[in-house]
Amino acid sequence: MSLPDSRRLSHFLDLMTERGWDRLLFYGNAWRKDFFRYLLNVNFSGPWAIASLDRSGEIRAILSDPWDAELLPDVGRAVLPAAGFPAGSVGDAFGRAGFSLQPGLQPRSGRRLKPPLQAKACSTQPSVAVAGLELMDAGLVESLGSDPVSATAEIEEMRRVKSPEEIECLRRAAALADRGYEYFAQIIEPGMAEYELVAEVEGYLKSNGAEDNFMLIASGGTEVKGMRPPTQRQFKRGDQVTTELTPQIGGYYAQICRTLVLGEPSAEQRQAFAIFSEARGAAEDLLKPGVDIADVARAQNDVFREHGYGEYTGSKYTRVRGHNLGLHPDETPYVLEDVHYTVKPGMAIIAHPNTYLPLSGYMVFGDTLLVTETGCEPLNRAERKLFHPEGQFLKK
Amino acid sequence: VKRGLIAWDKAELPPEVFESRLARARQRLAERDLPALVVYSDLGKSNYARFYSNFMPYFNRALLVIPRTEEDKPFLLCGLSPRVYPWIESVTILEEIIASPNLAAKLLEICAQRGWRRLGFLDPEGLPYDLHRVITAAIQIEPVPHEGDDTERAMHRRARQMAWEGLIAEIRPSLEPILDYELVGNLERRLRRAGAEDLVILVTNGDTAPAPAKGQTLREGFSVLVALEYGGHWAKAGRYHGAAGGAVAHGARLEVLSGVLPYQICDAPPMGAALATTMELRDGEHRYFFCDTQWTTDGGSEPL
Repeated sequence: MSLPDSRRLSHFLDLMTERGWDRLLFYGNAWRKDFFRYLLNVNFSGPWAIASLDRSGEIRAILSDPWDAELLPDVGRAVLPAAGFPAGSVGDAFGRAGFSLQPGLQPRSGRRLKPPLQAKACSTQPSVAVAGLELMDAGLVESLGSDPVSATAEIEEMRRVKSPEEIECLRRAAALADRGYEYFAQIIEPGMAEYELVAEVEGYLKSNGAEDNFMLIASGGTEVKGMRPPTQRQFKRGDQVTTELTPQIGGYYAQICRTLVLGEPSAEQRQAFAIFSEARGAAEDLLKPGVDIADVARAQNDVFREHGYGEYTGSKYTRVRGHNLGLHPDETPYVLEDVHYTVKPGMAIIAHPNTYLPLSGYMVFGDTLLVTETGCEPLNRAERKLFHPEGQFLKK
Repeated sequence: VKRGLIAWDKAELPPEVFESRLARARQRLAERDLPALVVYSDLGKSNYARFYSNFMPYFNRALLVIPRTEEDKPFLLCGLSPRVYPWIESVTILEEIIASPNLAAKLLEICAQRGWRRLGFLDPEGLPYDLHRVITAAIQIEPVPHEGDDTERAMHRRARQMAWEGLIAEIRPSLEPILDYELVGNLERRLRRAGAEDLVILVTNGDTAPAPAKGQTLREGFSVLVALEYGGHWAKAGRYHGAAGGAVAHGARLEVLSGVLPYQICDAPPMGAALATTMELRDGEHRYFFCDTQWTTDGGSEPL
């Protein structure tokens, strides 16, 4: 189990003091474990979990699966496995973990907690804040027995700047993404179905220690407008195959986007890739501390505009020109011309000019970039090219 | 994350099954004089929207809206890009998908257009807080119960069969000590090739409860539990390697697999549900786990 380091803990406690929060909760569920794991980096497997930090620095947890409790031997914990959340039940569970949600008020069974009697002195200051409040079941929020405020924005901002330990996880995840893509390009062959290839890559990534992986794929020609989960479509010679791999190591996701042609790329595909390559390079050249993230999007889009493909940089053909990475594979800020955010050292961002072009159909290309003091460092080492494996299958 | 094959085999789940489910939902709406039923869906809560439409998200959130009047087809408010709507339409009964970067705002806009002041919700308490707060500030929402059907039983049976075939193939008696990552990778490869949509695999060397792989070598007496999703239907299976010898029963846990969550621990399972039972055996300090999925009936449970 990973407890937060003293620096991160100190940041949390400073934030709590500044905002007048007596307790800071970190919520996670099966889809979004990220906030929970920012305080307690444990890969829980139950439906949800809440980690709690109080102003003394004490950490406790409420879990929905008793097996998860065994992953947390060093912190006070309680388990609330049953379906539904009767009023006050979560407050009671906190009580079983050895603390109440409101200082000085002990929760009682089957009763929703009332506002604390001694809270008058700070009645304008909420005492319980939740990172991930928006994701919580409404019934779970109700059963907290308090009136929490959201700490999501504040904690998201903290999460954007990575510690050396987090960066090490990202480096390992990026290295695995590289190897995963190498494997992808090695085993793909005509006749294989998209979902079979994804199964092979998932097996490879898990065999090499990935906790999870976010992956999309598409194959075909100029009719392809975007990526999606794998289908039963079988690859054909001449297909353009796009994918993004996002393996997770130690809780942290790194991503790689690459495009491959099953055969010799056409002149149009090469022309398209040259544009993508120029756009990706423009983002990497610009990304450094102090830059507005909107300009990183603009730098990529300007390349398309200069080549006469500006209309393909909008939401009809593409989603974002990149995004932040970390404990969630799709963190904010998004790299978009209308999103303004000043880049900081220690951020991990994928810049990917992924979009549809009539030359090639949907194409993708991008690397995870670590923002340094003076610029950025690509964490991926995979070749930056339009892949076109000429090995095994073409000789068959 | 769901990243396996998300498909719709109409021989396995004919459109008439969905028509029947929608008809029953409309009947429940009529009984409560509600104009529409709303079903929330995300990666961790996709069972109910799948039941009524076969929609399963691979990311993001969505609201399935089922109007009470039969002439109004169900539609989806979707946070995903319109570029993937043709794919969604190809694997669901849905003909109308409405781009909704802000789900609550879009739902309220539609309510205003149609004059809906009350809405039925499946599991309203399970709605994410941000949506619940905005929606309930503007309109009245009322809980409508979910009713499963027997068609699900065959799908859970298929999921269970796939999980067991994978476990039997990969946990052979002759299996040498193996890194847990490698065993999990082998299961992922085999089961996703067989058509699994999603997998959660837990392992233990007998010294802890089952947990995600952590890079340990699995020795004789280890246990593996597989939760497998096929066509939106979950099953759990688990076995230990080797013989449990003189181990004795230590406890059991029950999980409903056909509720709002993929699996939820329960004390008293409802009738007509997929139910996973995990038995724990102990031989001294060593813990063995065995798991299987059954179907609950009024007389108890039956094998799938």
